[in-house]
Amino acid sequence: MKQIQPRQNYLGASGWVWAGKFKIERYLYTLHRITGLGLLLFVIIHLVMTTVFRIQGQDVWESIMVLLHNPWFKVGEYLVVVAFSYHALNGLRLMLQELGFIMGKPTPPIYPWKDALRKKRPVIVVMLVVIAILCALFLVDFFIGGW
Amino acid sequence: MRATYLWILQLITGALIAILLGIHLALMHLDDTLGAGGEATGWTAMINRAGDGLFAALYIALLAVGLYHGINGLRGIVLETSPSPRTERIINWTSLVLGIIVFAGAAYVPVALLVS
Repeated sequence: MKQIQPRQNYLGASGWVWAGKFKIERYLYTLHRITGLGLLLFVIIHLVMTTVFRIQGQDVWESIMVLLHNPWFKVGEYLVVVAFSYHALNGLRLMLQELGFIMGKPTPPIYPWKDALRKKRPVIVVMLVVIAILCALFLVDFFIGGW
Repeated sequence: MRATYLWILQLITGALIAILLGIHLALMHLDDTLGAGGEATGWTAMINRAGDGLFAALYIALLAVGLYHGINGLRGIVLETSPSPRTERIINWTSLVLGIIVFAGAAYVPVALLVS
C-alpha cells in the first residue's frame, strides 16, 4: 500500500532568512527576533561601558567617550536606534494584534473573502511609515550632532 | 499557568520599555533636534543626571524592565529547541541568576553616584 507522506513545510534553520510561502509577516517576525537579539547584545556592552568605566572616574570615562565618538561607532549607535524603533513599533503591533484591538469586525466567510492577515496589512504599512519617520528623525539628529 | 504570567509580564515590560527607552533615546540622540544643547554623554552632563533622583529612578526602572524583557525573550528563543525538563530547569535558573547579577551590578552605580 502506498504510504502518504506528510507535506514537508518545515523550513528548519533556513526559515531564519527564507520565509517560503509565508508573506511579509514572517519577515517582520525574523527581523523582530534579529533586532531583539542585537539589542540584548548592545545592552550588555552598554552596561559594561556605563558601569565599569564610569566608576573609574572622569579621565577613564572621557578617554572611552573619545573612542566611542569614532564615526564607525556612531554608525553602530544609529543601527541600535533603528533596531529600537523597529522592535518597539513591531512589538506594539504584535501586542495590539494579540490582545484583539486591531482585528476588525468578524465578517461571514462569503466569497471573495479576505483573510485576517490581509485585513491587517494596512496596519503594517502605517507601522513601516512611522518607523521610517522615526529613523529619519534620528538620522537628522546624528548629522546635526556630528558623526 | 506560569508561562502565561511570564508572557503577560513580557507584554507589560515591552510597553514600559517603549516609554522609558523612548525618553532615554530622546535625551541621548534627539538632544540637538529638541534644542537641549550640550554634550549628553559628557562627564558633567552625566554627573548632573546622576545627582538627580528622578533620573536614577528612571534608569533603574529601565534596567529592571529591560533586563526582564531581554533575558526572558532570549529564554523563549532557547526554549524553542524543546529541551528536556531538566535542561529547561537549568535554563530557567540560569536566566534568573544572570538577570539578578546583572541588575545588582548595574544598579549599584547610579545608587552609589546618587549617594556620594
